[in-house]
Amino acid sequence: MKTALEPQSPIDPAGGAEAAADAVALHEVSFTYRTAQTPALLNVRLRQRAGEMIGIMGASGAGKSSLVKCLNAVIPGFEHGQFAGIVQIHGRAVKQAQVSQMAPLVGMVFQDFEAQLFSTNVAHEVAFAMEQVGLPPDEIRSRLGPALAAVGLTGFEDRDPTSLSGGEKQRLAIASVLALRPSVIVLDEPTTDLDPEGRAEVFDLIRRLRDLGLSLIIVEHETEEMRECNRIVVLRDGQVIADRPPDQLLSDRSLLAESGIRPPGLNQVLWALGIDAHARNIEEAEALIRRALPLLARTDEDRGACTAEPPDSIAVSDSGGPALVEIDNVTHIYDGAVRALDQVSLTINPGEFVAIIGQNGSGKTTLAKHVVGLLKPDCGRVMLGGRDRAALRPIEAATLVGYVFQNPDHQIFAGTVGEEVAFGPRNFGLPADEIERRCERVLKAVGLESMRGQDPFLLGRGERQRLAVASILVLQPRLLILDEPTTGLDYPQQRRMMELITELNRAGTAIVIITHTPWLVAEYARRAVLMRKGRKLFDGPVRELFNREELLGSAAFRLPEVTALGWRFGITALTAEELAAALRRSG
Amino acid sequence: MPIYLYLDRRTFIHRLHPTVKILTIVAIFWSVYWVDSPLWLLPLGVLLLAGAQITRAWPNFYSLRWLFILVIFATTLTWIVFYRQGKPLLHLGPLFVSRASLEYGFGRGIKLAELLATSVLFLSTTKVEEFAYGLGEMGVPYRVGFAITLAFRLVPLFIDSALTVVQAQSLRGYDFESGSLLTRLRRYVPVTVPVFMGALRKANNMAMALEARGFGYSARPTSYVHYEVRPLDVLMLVGVGLLSAAYFLIYYTGRGAIAPR
Repeated sequence: MKTALEPQSPIDPAGGAEAAADAVALHEVSFTYRTAQTPALLNVRLRQRAGEMIGIMGASGAGKSSLVKCLNAVIPGFEHGQFAGIVQIHGRAVKQAQVSQMAPLVGMVFQDFEAQLFSTNVAHEVAFAMEQVGLPPDEIRSRLGPALAAVGLTGFEDRDPTSLSGGEKQRLAIASVLALRPSVIVLDEPTTDLDPEGRAEVFDLIRRLRDLGLSLIIVEHETEEMRECNRIVVLRDGQVIADRPPDQLLSDRSLLAESGIRPPGLNQVLWALGIDAHARNIEEAEALIRRALPLLARTDEDRGACTAEPPDSIAVSDSGGPALVEIDNVTHIYDGAVRALDQVSLTINPGEFVAIIGQNGSGKTTLAKHVVGLLKPDCGRVMLGGRDRAALRPIEAATLVGYVFQNPDHQIFAGTVGEEVAFGPRNFGLPADEIERRCERVLKAVGLESMRGQDPFLLGRGERQRLAVASILVLQPRLLILDEPTTGLDYPQQRRMMELITELNRAGTAIVIITHTPWLVAEYARRAVLMRKGRKLFDGPVRELFNREELLGSAAFRLPEVTALGWRFGITALTAEELAAALRRSG
Repeated sequence: MPIYLYLDRRTFIHRLHPTVKILTIVAIFWSVYWVDSPLWLLPLGVLLLAGAQITRAWPNFYSLRWLFILVIFATTLTWIVFYRQGKPLLHLGPLFVSRASLEYGFGRGIKLAELLATSVLFLSTTKVEEFAYGLGEMGVPYRVGFAITLAFRLVPLFIDSALTVVQAQSLRGYDFESGSLLTRLRRYVPVTVPVFMGALRKANNMAMALEARGFGYSARPTSYVHYEVRPLDVLMLVGVGLLSAAYFLIYYTGRGAIAPR
């Protein structure tokens, strides 16, 4: 049988006993995908000592996934292209290894949890990799229990993996790689598709694995969890531009800005107060602020802020007409058994900006699908613009409310960006000159006017997301519902998407976003609707919701760090600037 | 949406050796194949109904009830029209109905329904992993067995994705029910392109995840579950062996055919 690892190459520049102590070492690794012009990785050097936890960060397309794929030979074994350099696992070079032969050494967990579960029950799933590498049945049975216990899934052996929650699925994927007892575990954006509770479950597990002494490499967009890494490596255009401990890296404002990384909420507050430091946790941030508080001078700007209206009290531009959406006591039961919505009532007025939040399965998307007519209520009724939803013609409904699906790839099909946007208005039989005028306007609004003739499949994820918004916006709905509009986007793309949505709202379109990201709700929405188990738990100003800790806790929604820090000072703040201004005033 | 038909019960049929289960469906298919007359298909039908009762698989039959009704009616009606033998009871232009055509048509409907019921019973009592194990024991290469299990896993995923695409496009005024055949075919493009692209991406991710979990490491992977051949399995094999022989005999002696009268 071919071995995955070959003895160390004599030309290995790192060589020697020092290299053998490294769990992972990359020497001048470069890779260009077969279909690409520019390299995805360029002369990457990276060393990880055994037991270290390393975070890999950077904007979309910076080369993060490509880098980790080199560790188990997915690059160049599975993804083809031009490869150069040396990758070593525990001092031995991975040369031309097959991906499968790397499985016992490097465990890899991917973002797409649907695509990495193959079995009909949890026990089979965990056994899968062990069976593949030919472990004897007795050995497999003896490893099953500990692997499931490590991820907190004991007792789940007979469950169908498709019936698990997102967080449980991802933990199962981790258990199935743990069972092979690899010394290095790589997690490529493991929590991108999870709700806050699922994220917390996975990161708790990651901490436990680190404490067990495993070498971990985590690719992640969100900064706050990355503070616990030993080091953070930042990539840009396929190159390592920084490799430092988190407290040094996350306090480097210009580096974060250049690399498209969101500064942690606590640091944002410190910086807004003029404190040039890094806080590892809320306690540290609080202590830093308390120490600096007497010295903080009130600026003119802050005095202005004293009289300015907080963002949630900005008057809603109400045209005085009927409510855009009136959901009256709606109940929806899936397959005659699952009560997805339970007597929910909700009114949305023109010009509002509402965030619907809650765990996966709490009924958020079901609720939105009733508004756009993709689902019909079992009980209750839905009114759009004062008329019964069921009595509206499709074109009438489409001009009242538009719905952007979470994954833009569920709707993109046309040969060019322009064609994609024109699809909707053409279906509704609008005149050609009107379609032309509208396409031009919305493409400009979403910043894709220069890409009109391009193939949508060649666009980046952020651009495809904006294209999906444009293709609904072109129907000129008075209310736009966006399901997880920032999932899978990096920080600059998230900001850009949210600024676009805010612009649309200012121009008069009412907005409903369904989201899991606490800081998005705090910074952009004015009203929040909190769902749990098909029921509406809260409906009111965001600021009021963020004052109700017990409510948020019961729906497993995590407070944004900025708000949590504000509480320590008796302030409910939604943004870092707002908290800083309030602190200066109180100081 | 239920992804698998498998029902986790502890009946003796569930506990049969996977290879015996596969041989049993082959034997029932074989028996159904040799006879056309509803009279001789009846005992097989009773056997299958008893199987459904023993394995408590009625929920699956209930959720597929329209498929069964459609199969029986559509097949029966089609064959009544095409089978033009025997003394006509009714002969109106192209419409020809005789006792033989009624028997033949009904027999065909029952036959298809029995094949379907056998498959439903098999999937209700056999995990896809057991299916792959059974095939492996019969000498089918591991990769082939695994591909079958993966297909079971993928089909529902693709159906789910197709439904989402149809919903997304319908909100953009997409209507694939009007127009001529050609326009309607062209109208499927907004659905087929995203579904196909999504399927390719999913398949690629899955292949990568499979290899990363060691698929292909060894040509003969081990199995942590082991199925013993027990006396009940032997008894079952003898039973279905006798059944197969009996039905071949029925065919051979000409009893299973329809006699045009």
